[in-house]
Formats: sequence, C-alpha cells, structure tokens
Amino acid sequence: MARSIQVLGIDAGGTMTDTFFVDAEGNFVVGKAQSTPHDESVGVINSSKDALAQWGLTVEDVFPQLVTAVYSGTAMLNRIVQRKGLRVGLIVNRGLEDFHRMGRSIQSYLGYSYEDRLHLNTHRYDPPLVPRELTFGVTERIDMFGNIVIPLREEEAYEAARNLVEQNVEGIVISFLHSYKNPVHERRVRDIVLEVVREAGKAIPVFASSDYYPVRKESHRTNTTILEAYAAEPSRKTLVRINERFKQLGARFDLRVMASHGGTISWKAKELARTVVSGPIGGVIGARSLGERLGYRNIAATDIGGTSFDMALIVQGQFTIQHDPDMARLVLSLPLVQMDSVGSGAGSYVRIDPYTHAIKIGPDSAGYRVGVCWPESGVETVTISDCHVVLGYINPDNFLGGQVKLDPQRAREAIEEQIARPLGLSVEEAAAGVIELLDTRLRDHLRAMISGKGYHPSDFVCFSYGGAGPVHTYGYTEGLEFEDIIVPAWAAGFSAFGCAAAEFEYRYDKSLDINVAPDAGAAEKLEAVKVLQSAWSELAEKVIEEFRLNGYATESVTLFPGYRMMYRGQLNDLEINSPLSRVEKAEDWDRLTEAFEETYARVYAKAARSPELGFTITGAIMRGIVPSVKPRIPEEPLGDATPPNEAYRGQRPFYFRGKWVKADIWDMDALKAGNRIEGPAIIEAPATTLVVPPGWSTTLDAHRLFHLKRR
Amino acid sequence: MAYDRKKIEELIDGTIDWETLHRMLSEPKDPERFRMYLEILQERVPWEDRIILPYQYHLYIVQKKDTKEWVIKCDCGHEFCDYRDNWKLHALIYVRDTEEALNEIYPKLMAPDPNWQVFREYYCPSCGTLLEVEAPTPWYPVIHNWEPDIETFYRDWLGQPVPERAEPAHR
Repeated sequence: MARSIQVLGIDAGGTMTDTFFVDAEGNFVVGKAQSTPHDESVGVINSSKDALAQWGLTVEDVFPQLVTAVYSGTAMLNRIVQRKGLRVGLIVNRGLEDFHRMGRSIQSYLGYSYEDRLHLNTHRYDPPLVPRELTFGVTERIDMFGNIVIPLREEEAYEAARNLVEQNVEGIVISFLHSYKNPVHERRVRDIVLEVVREAGKAIPVFASSDYYPVRKESHRTNTTILEAYAAEPSRKTLVRINERFKQLGARFDLRVMASHGGTISWKAKELARTVVSGPIGGVIGARSLGERLGYRNIAATDIGGTSFDMALIVQGQFTIQHDPDMARLVLSLPLVQMDSVGSGAGSYVRIDPYTHAIKIGPDSAGYRVGVCWPESGVETVTISDCHVVLGYINPDNFLGGQVKLDPQRAREAIEEQIARPLGLSVEEAAAGVIELLDTRLRDHLRAMISGKGYHPSDFVCFSYGGAGPVHTYGYTEGLEFEDIIVPAWAAGFSAFGCAAAEFEYRYDKSLDINVAPDAGAAEKLEAVKVLQSAWSELAEKVIEEFRLNGYATESVTLFPGYRMMYRGQLNDLEINSPLSRVEKAEDWDRLTEAFEETYARVYAKAARSPELGFTITGAIMRGIVPSVKPRIPEEPLGDATPPNEAYRGQRPFYFRGKWVKADIWDMDALKAGNRIEGPAIIEAPATTLVVPPGWSTTLDAHRLFHLKRR
Repeated sequence: MAYDRKKIEELIDGTIDWETLHRMLSEPKDPERFRMYLEILQERVPWEDRIILPYQYHLYIVQKKDTKEWVIKCDCGHEFCDYRDNWKLHALIYVRDTEEALNEIYPKLMAPDPNWQVFREYYCPSCGTLLEVEAPTPWYPVIHNWEPDIETFYRDWLGQPVPERAEPAHR
C-alpha cells in the first residue's frame, strides 16, 4: 500500500527521543530510542527507524515525502541547568556591574520544594551565567521615560569591547537600564563592539537586549539576552546538524522548533532562546488543536511523565500566556504558555518520614530509571512505578513494549521493607495507599487550578496523556465531575503530536506605557493609538523579517496584533488579541478598551470592571503566521460495542480499594472504534497503559480517543 | 540515607558540594551522622578527653578523662570552665570602643559610632585564636551563647546512654 506520510513530530528528551509520524489519513506511529546528547541527530534517526519499522518502511522511503517536521527538546534547558554554556561577556551601566551576579532574590529558591523555599539556610545563589570578571560598566543613563540623562561615554565602550575581545569571549551581550524605552545607547555600543570585533579579525556575535527583548525588568531582560549568547547558539548548531541529516535522507523541508509562546519557529530564528521550553508545551498545543477540531472549547490538559505532573487550562479555545516565567532558576522575559507543575511523576521516590511516619512522595525522582523493579537501574528507593507493578497496574513484561523487563518481586521486597513494615501494613495496602495519596494530591492541584480561576470542572473536558497519565486518569479525575475525560490512544507521543500540530508562528513583544484618562479627549486617544501602531509596525517588521529568512514573501504572512492592557493603577494586565488590524483614529482607542473590558468581565467579573480609572497599555504584541501542514487526526468507522477477540489478552490480578480483582487485559492497538470496555480492565499499548477500575467503563470513539466514565 | 565519612569530613571543612549539602539540609537527619561527626572531630584534636558535644568553632564540651567532669575546651587543649558557665568570662577580651580601634577594621566612615556599638573580641588565652566577636551596644552584658540540655539530647534525640558526668568540687 502506498502510504503518504506528511508530518513528523520530534520530542528529544534527556533520556528518550520520541518521534511521531502521521500519514494523510491520520494513522500514526510512535517511535522511541535512546537520546544521543553528543549528536542528537543520531537519536532522532534511530527513533524514526523504530517508528517507521512498524509500518515496514525505512527513513529513506519516508523522508522525501515528508512535508514538515517539528522538533522539541531539552538539550538547551540542560545546558542552562548544568551551566555548561559558552563564555559570554556582558556590558552594563557603570556602577551596576553586580546586578546580574546578585540576581533577583527569588532566584535563590526557584525550583525548590515548599520547605526549602521557606528555610533561608537552603537558599542559594547559583554562579552567574556571566562571571563578574567578564562584566564591564559603561557610563550612560536613560530614564524610565526614555530621556537621556547622562550621555554615552563612547571611549568606555571601546575599552570594554577591547577587554572582552582580548579575553576571548564567545559572545557579547549589552544590556542598559530602560533600553526598551530608548535603545539609542545600546545600539551605539553594539556598533562600537562590532567595530572592535571586526578590527580584531574575530567573529564574535553581539547581542543588544533592545534588539531581542525590548521589555521592562532588567534582570529578566538581561538573563534572556544572555541565554541567546550562552545557550541558544550551541543549540542552533545541533539543529543545523539535524536539518542536514534530514536533507541527506532526501528531506525537502526546513526543520521547525517548538517555542515557548506556543508556535513553532525556524532554526534560523533570531530569538532562539525561546525554544528552551518546548516539550511540555507540545501537549497543551496538541490538546488545543484536538479541541479545535472536535469542538471542545474548555479543556484541562494533564500530563504525567517520569518526574512531574503538568496541567494547563484552555478556556474558550485559548491558553494563557505568562510574561516573565522562570526556568532553570532564572527569571526570564519570554512569553510562555502557562502551565502548573507538581513534582510528582511515575518515577517519584516514596519514603516514610522517620519522625511523623507519613508517606512522602518526591520531590526527587528516579526519572527514566523507573524504580527498584528494574534490576539494572541501580535504584534502591521505592518509586511510584514500583507500586504500579506490585498492584498489577502495569505489565512488567510490556514496559516500553518489552524493552525494559521489570521484576515485581524486587518491587514487593522493597515496598515491604521501606514502606509496609514501618507502617504495619501489608504490601498491597501500603502500595495502594501510596497511589491513593498521589491521586489525591494531583486531584487537589487540578481542582485548585480550575476553581482558583473561577471555573468549575463540569465546564471542562479533561485530556490525559503522557506515558504515565492514563494509569492515573481515573484517580485524579474522580469526583471532579468533568464534562468528559479523554485519553488519546497516542498518549505517549502526545507532546510530539502537539508540536507537529502547532502553527508556524513568530511572536514579538515590546513594553509600552500608554496612559489614557477616563475623560480623555480625541487628541489624547489619537496620540495613544499612534504610539501603539508604531510599536506594532516595528514588531511586524521583525516578524516579517523572520519569515523572509525562511523564504516566505510578506504577502503570505498573516499578522495578529495584540496588546496588554489594564485599568490605570492596577498591577496585573491582560493579554488581548486586537479586534483591529491597524489603529489610526481616536475612536479606535474605544474599540481596544471595549475588547479589554469584555475579556476582563470573563476572567474576573462584570461588576469588577472599572472604566472610571482610565486605561493603560503596558505592551504591544505582534504574532505572524504562515500556513503549514498539520497532522490529520484518525477517522475510523464506528463499529460494534463488543471488542474483537484478537484484542483480548487474558486476565491479570489487579488490586483496587482493598481487594484483588481479575482485570481483563486488552491490546490498545487492536481495539476498534466504537468498542466499549467495562472495568476492571487494563488497556495496554507499548508506551502507555490505560487503567479502567471496577465501576468505570471506557468507549473508543472514531478518532481513537478513549472516553473514560464512572458508571 | 547514610553519608560516607569523606562527605562528613568535607561538611566539617566546609568543602562539601552544594548538592549533597542541600540534601542533608532538606532531608531528615541520618542517624549515623552525629557519631561519625564526633569521631572525626575526636581524631583531629591533640588531647584524649571524650568530646560530648561540639560547642562552637574551636570549642567542645568534653568529659575529662581523669575526673569525668564536663568542661568547655579549646582545640589547643586550653580548658575554659564548667560546661554550664559562660566561657567568654574566662577568655582574653579586647574591646574596640574608639573610632581609632574600629578604623583598624573598617574603611573611614564605614564603622559604627562607638557610642552606639562596640566590638568585643574573645581570644583563647593559650593559643591566641580569635574565638568570637560580639557587636553589642556598649553597656550590654557579655552574651552567654547557649546552654545545651545534653541529657535530653542523648536520651531522647540520639537514643543513647548519657555519658557519665561528675560534679566539680566547687562551682
């Protein structure tokens, strides 16, 4: 049969590289292979081979037909976490040479457990990305209104540049106070540095913060610009190599990369640091994309992997964008799809607190090493996966399709010794207690996230994915009254699917301070829209330039302007998609405030609107999109409710709420659309397991989505 | 979880890596730690009295080998006083309470006003080590750092027998 395979999604994690191929009918295969950090292209190709072998195809057959491929990976994040980036020099205002080293105080406890955040003795400042001896001050000052208060002393800039060039730095970053408001000094210093670099006969890249992230908050802006030099340039090399490997295999497309704002960008993109977080976002984009096509407007997207539980809300088809997120213990100025994370995954360690005798889950985890049940792992502490194995939730002979053989007896012994005996429980009671505790914790977080935003779960469809998500779906959704609970059959490759489903989209942001009083006249409103429009034009130029780099004509780019607005005097703004593509008249201002008030009423309450305060625009946003091929979703004819015999794999003992029951085991891939399965049952695929406990049932729909229900 | 001896030595020397130290701070204390810690300290001091409790940098509460009395003792072997007394009253004291004396330490205009704050430096009379610096207001009494409840610590926290202790003849 001639299959037409169009789309490839890649999720290169720290340990496993997943690939996701989709053909024109929406059929898909998921491939897995060990990641190869020294040359990521090797892992990507191996994973592709693994996937395509399931269709009896080779990479040489398939790559020439592919229309698009999207990459997401953790290599850049790891480089930052391990502080293994390039040697970068920094030029800042004279007198402020220490602000990068000192950092924001929150950086001393970011990423820590609650206890460690509270206790000062665990706080710690990481070594700075740029050491103090490579930081130089140059005299200049621009105030918050953009006025030049102290002119630039150019000779100091020349001296700093010569010093850095002499010290053999691999990148030079320039970041001055309020440069987002007035970039002249930064750009002048950039040109001076470039001149000195050229005279020295070297090729050192130079990054002025206002060229990249013209936004308020100098710690965030400086960190982010440094990351471009420190971590993104090495990643660009990796992407170039993968792209070249693809070309050798006959590929005719350019690789795209998943970026933090939820779109994909080219490896040629100027702002590559925003691809630092990509994997987990893929799932959210995938959930939104599925929701769009199937008519779900409100979605709670949930993902359990080896180390964490990630949740995101999609409301009215939109996810929320966070503007100053933190990553690798650094505050950054990147637009990031908002997600909440709990440090509990399938690999989380389980321990008994020696003083309180309470069960403690995480925060550290065995990650890909599964648990004690994998003899080769070297893990000695009980993990969540060990409890799964003992209770019959997962099949010890079919973990990752049988690539990893698990030993239930080892898990039993470890749970007995570390958990059951100290608590005076049986092994089953102890393991079930751990799972119940985890489920309760996840459920509480999920409930808090939804109700904290003023919604109720009954307005949402819950999507559950990730390798370990479907094992717990029933547990963390029980009693929350979701409108529907959906587990895609490709749960394990869902992030890779989501990456492939993302738009080819660039997004640029710029800080603004536009204040308009409630009684403002037409002249003031006109002035306000002029400032906004000039920011939009500047950003649009950048967006179009990025697409031009990839060979797209200006006409093929669809632009979506946006802005961030709040009532005057407020601290939190809202991001609004502009109802107008251009603003030029005083009345346009009123359209902008109307759109804002509409969103404000939805997010907060109608009665909370306060137009009497006037309005402030704090930022301009410009997104640009060109058409791209997306993965089709499967479409199968609905069949009988009774599953076919060949999908039945027998029975397995399964421990649930205090007793052993016999669970039917089903092969996920052999089930047909329309099939209905009653619990207790376990539905197995090579990389994921869907647990249907007694009292629950599930139906597979025409798009290979399982709908899980409590009877 | 137990740590090997080398890690505990690094902990004492302040050369331990942050990751291990962070784990030690965040997790419940490993039961072996105190014993191992004392063992290492005991090996490093030139005298043979048993260390009951490290008191602060350079100082220990020890059980005297001959009399079984508990006293505060310096690295060098100098005995200060009964473990319940304030060792500082038995140390050599240098008080910096003039602008001139303070300016030996701080750049000009960076030192406190000696009418408001003075520095009291406590030295070991035998080895001359600077053991502690206090920075109180001029009239403030000599601060007694702490009085450990060693019996409770051994019995209820370590679950070990309390070492023998003899009352000194006159205290």
